[in-house]
Amino acid sequence: MAETQIAFNINGNQEQIAAEPNQTLLQLLRDELGLTGTKDGCSSGDCGACVVLLDGKPVNSCMVLALQAEGSSVTTIEGLAKDGELHPVQRTFGEAWAFQCGFCTPGMLISCYALLESNDNPTREEILRAIAGNFCRCTGYQGVVKAVQQAAAELRATNSSEGAPDE
Amino acid sequence: MIAGGTDLILRMRDRVLSPSLLIDLRALSLGNIVLGDDELCIGTSVSLSQVLENTDTQRLFPALVAACREFAGPPIRNRATLGGNIANASPAADLVPPLGAYDARVVLRSAGGERVLPLLEFFTGPGQSVIEPDEILTEIRLPLMPTLSAATFIKLGQRRSMAISQVNVTTRLSIHEENVVSEVRIVLGAVAPVPMRALAAEQIISGNALSDELLCSAAQKAAEEIMPISDVRASRSYRVEMTEVLVRRALFATRDELGRNATDG
Amino acid sequence: MSELAIVGQWAASPGAEEIVTGEARYCPDIRLPGMLCGKLLYSPHARARVKKLDVSKAREMDGVFAVLTHADVPGENSYLYAQPDQPLLVVDEVRFQGDAVAAVAARDARTADAALAAIDVEYEELPGVFDPLEAMQRDPDSVMTNQVYRSGDVAAAIASADVVIENTYRTQWAEHAFLETEGGVGLVDDDGGITVYSSCQAPHRDRMQIARALAMPESMVRVITPYIGGAFGAKDEAHVQIHAGLLAHAARRPVHLIRERRESILTHVKRHPFVVEYTTAATSEGKLLAVKARAIADAGPYTNSTHEVLNKFGEFIGGPYKVENIEVEKIGVRTNNPITGAFRGFGAPQAAFVYESQMDDLARQLGMDPLEIRLLNGVETGTKMYTGVVVREGTAMKASLNKAAEMIDWQSRDQLEREPASHLRRGWGVATILKGSGLGRGLSDHAGVMLEMHRDGSVVLHSAAADMGQGITTVMAQLAAERLGVDMASVRVVRADTSKSPDAGGTSASRQAMVSGNAVLEAADSIRNTLLKLAAGKTRIEMDRLDLKAGKLLVDGEPHELSVSDLAQRAGNWGYPLHAESLVHFEYPSDVPEVSYRYSQEVFQFCTQIAQVLVDCETGQVSVERMIAVHDAGKMINPGGVYGQIEGGVAQGIGYALTEELVVQEGHTLNPSLENYVIPMALDIPEIEMEVLEFPEPIGAPLGAKGIAESPIIPTAPAIRNAIYDAIGKPLYELPMTAERVLPIPDGN
Repeated sequence: MAETQIAFNINGNQEQIAAEPNQTLLQLLRDELGLTGTKDGCSSGDCGACVVLLDGKPVNSCMVLALQAEGSSVTTIEGLAKDGELHPVQRTFGEAWAFQCGFCTPGMLISCYALLESNDNPTREEILRAIAGNFCRCTGYQGVVKAVQQAAAELRATNSSEGAPDE
Repeated sequence: MIAGGTDLILRMRDRVLSPSLLIDLRALSLGNIVLGDDELCIGTSVSLSQVLENTDTQRLFPALVAACREFAGPPIRNRATLGGNIANASPAADLVPPLGAYDARVVLRSAGGERVLPLLEFFTGPGQSVIEPDEILTEIRLPLMPTLSAATFIKLGQRRSMAISQVNVTTRLSIHEENVVSEVRIVLGAVAPVPMRALAAEQIISGNALSDELLCSAAQKAAEEIMPISDVRASRSYRVEMTEVLVRRALFATRDELGRNATDG
Repeated sequence: MSELAIVGQWAASPGAEEIVTGEARYCPDIRLPGMLCGKLLYSPHARARVKKLDVSKAREMDGVFAVLTHADVPGENSYLYAQPDQPLLVVDEVRFQGDAVAAVAARDARTADAALAAIDVEYEELPGVFDPLEAMQRDPDSVMTNQVYRSGDVAAAIASADVVIENTYRTQWAEHAFLETEGGVGLVDDDGGITVYSSCQAPHRDRMQIARALAMPESMVRVITPYIGGAFGAKDEAHVQIHAGLLAHAARRPVHLIRERRESILTHVKRHPFVVEYTTAATSEGKLLAVKARAIADAGPYTNSTHEVLNKFGEFIGGPYKVENIEVEKIGVRTNNPITGAFRGFGAPQAAFVYESQMDDLARQLGMDPLEIRLLNGVETGTKMYTGVVVREGTAMKASLNKAAEMIDWQSRDQLEREPASHLRRGWGVATILKGSGLGRGLSDHAGVMLEMHRDGSVVLHSAAADMGQGITTVMAQLAAERLGVDMASVRVVRADTSKSPDAGGTSASRQAMVSGNAVLEAADSIRNTLLKLAAGKTRIEMDRLDLKAGKLLVDGEPHELSVSDLAQRAGNWGYPLHAESLVHFEYPSDVPEVSYRYSQEVFQFCTQIAQVLVDCETGQVSVERMIAVHDAGKMINPGGVYGQIEGGVAQGIGYALTEELVVQEGHTLNPSLENYVIPMALDIPEIEMEVLEFPEPIGAPLGAKGIAESPIIPTAPAIRNAIYDAIGKPLYELPMTAERVLPIPDGN
């Protein structure tokens, strides 16, 4: 099966890599790029453990062919922290015990991060809707709601103290 | 052909399909929603999230938006397309009944030209359609509804997200001033080899004034018209029972909404 | 000792940062140079004879480094949980859909798949056994175990009773659905030993099994647990880690063997389905006189933990109630259905569904409030159970009932509309249960840790207690930090490694907080004593006025200028070892009359849950609007972990109650996917209202902590069942209570 070179942006870095036609983005990330933070829970889009951002939107990376990422930007769990500093929601997840075994956590965090990017004060219902495709077997979802609302509060405080962002 | 890939990739992984050539439809600019004078055109590569967020679909085709809202979960909706849901031709396809209730037509294009047909005529059996090997689905055309119209989508699933329909139902009523029904559509999913209209049930309602008894008897009729199977999600008899329940609820909800629109308008 | 600074406080788990950054490595994430992809070939039949098995073509393929059949297993070709009757690779007869016939190791997944396809195997399908009840009648040999336990005089009690209720209950196969499927990575060490990274619950038992299969001494085998993505009992027994070791040994290269989800659901152990005939005899005042049960468990093809699960079932089938007369017949039947084994609760959830449903039936028959009848019969401190066990601390039984009732305002619950719409009915149901922690009297329940403090006051803790998310790592770090007076960040917990950590036994039976917790306290106290002795010497103050806290030495409760790390440095300079290895046994009191039930557990997790449900009377769908959960932890060491365990357990319980079931036909699972095995997700679970009680276990538990890992999943299904009964007047006797089983709604409702 013929490989094709694709170029895309991964966690802020331009990457050029060969991909096979039936290779999924998940496999490319984990096997070729060594980004094992994103997990494979089912390979069938049912569990959300493999969720990454594709052009800013959460998708199941097991349901995207690697070649389809050509020209796009991809953000994985490894790309949430900036300059070694955790994003508030990463930190509040730990503080609120929003996970136990942690296997669902990367995908869950990406879905929550995406929500916080577009909603600075999400309600419980909005959070649950945002994670309705992320399956957690250990912990349920209350800790996630708590963590996201805590992170949202922190982000609002930071943003207001820094002034409104320039458009 | 691959668009969102949420069905196709599964079948490739399970080796049900091993395509030697895959064409990514994203390159074909089929990702637009365009409102014209008398119809809304949705490209087949439009994702369900796009349909959800679009103000024209929200305003003009709320039952379609409702179906998108309950479909799977956000990561799937960001990839799954209307075209894919149609082309996959699953009897349980959630988006087909609402599209059908809005009288959607689909456009099939080949090198030789294009043809347009009513959506519900596209399907011939589970996973089967009239599409030719040299054709692709490019567009869904939704005619704007008559002024006094309302539609309702109800899905019965085993959980509130990430669920395949046990039964899904879409009803649309368009009425004249005197509350007489000018157009009625009752479109059902997951209860027959293809998404289907309950024609005999529609006949009971069409041209008549809306009343509780009318709606109830239409719902009962609809349950007699279906050809469901038993599978891991539901038994045949449950599907029959639930069709009556959901059609009745949907018709009543649609009628209520007509009443609200009338007083608002 | 001063007030606790760390125990009982919210503390992030030591691995939290690794998890939220994606750096935590689980078995599937391990990458080693030259690593091969391992896969197993499974039987397509539930029962068949292997007529032909020819792997020569597969062996010759380019890129294939090993192909194994039973003939290639150097040592014992069997798993060893209780009995060695399950082969690693089938010899002549396949006994269920998940029996492995061959194993391959190849350069990549594609080549491994091709190798599997190139294996020439022919089967002769044989008639299978799929109905345990029918099998029992037809073939006595299919009965794997049949034990009867009796206490008192059941016949007399039934004869004298005012009310006798008899019902038959049915429960389903349930799938654990941990997020990380089973996996193992095997590699050969420089000296020919084998190391296996294993996603498991019992590293030392894994080591024994791997050594046994390889015919190697245990000293040449090492098992390491990386992060583990959930287990809930299914990884207590070995799964693919032995095969990973075998393949690595044969290929002389590292081998990565990870099950895909569908494979996982088809092959790993499930919760035993039960059919239980249950009789309750009581007075007209509601006092329980006798309980009689005949339980038939579908044991699947292999023994696995069937005896133990039945044993636990029988131990708790009387519920947390004063029952003196009991007869319980525990039968396990061999079938060609999916293999069954350990799953959180281990027989107790099935038992609770039976006894708590029956309790409501009894209450209804007598016109009694479901809460009152439970309080009337509930055990207390000092109650002697029918097993002979005396409840040392039983306050939580009634306390949890009363607390749960208070939280939902039980007496006034009807003020919320029972009929919010013509097709909706609301109802409330209560269930109260008990489960024991620990392996049980008569078994050795032991664990050890190795603890060391360095010159700078930093601490390393080695434990082989597998943490698959339930939080033992955090608990151990907290206990060590508390006793040594340092902060959590100073304690490094090294994940289980059989070459470094003493045996801690398996993570099961809610035992680790108790047993490994005690091991940590013992080791920490040893180091603490050394530090305090040094401090006493240096300050010339008596030891009993000294303490360690927040990194400092305390004198009479006040911080001294000496820090813990000063003391540690002193110890290092003067050659005082700050190193301790402990091995503790959980001891059962011997001063009680002889306990008559084998392997009885005596540390009780009492808890009560109350469900408020809304039933759609036309569709049969049940929505859980509120869930109250009151649990006794004895002493809550790690609040985040405790609340997480309760929430997660209740969520699993809701699934077990309403939607989760493996659909099996002629031994084949028809829904081996997370799409069709329906587990509630975020929109399906209400906010769970929790309260944790603390009635410290008086004997043998670290700071009184009991372990609460299993109890959360146990009362949920009967609480929901009783709520449905309350809502629509229909008692249900089968799990799960799907919409189709809830219908039809009885007339008048």
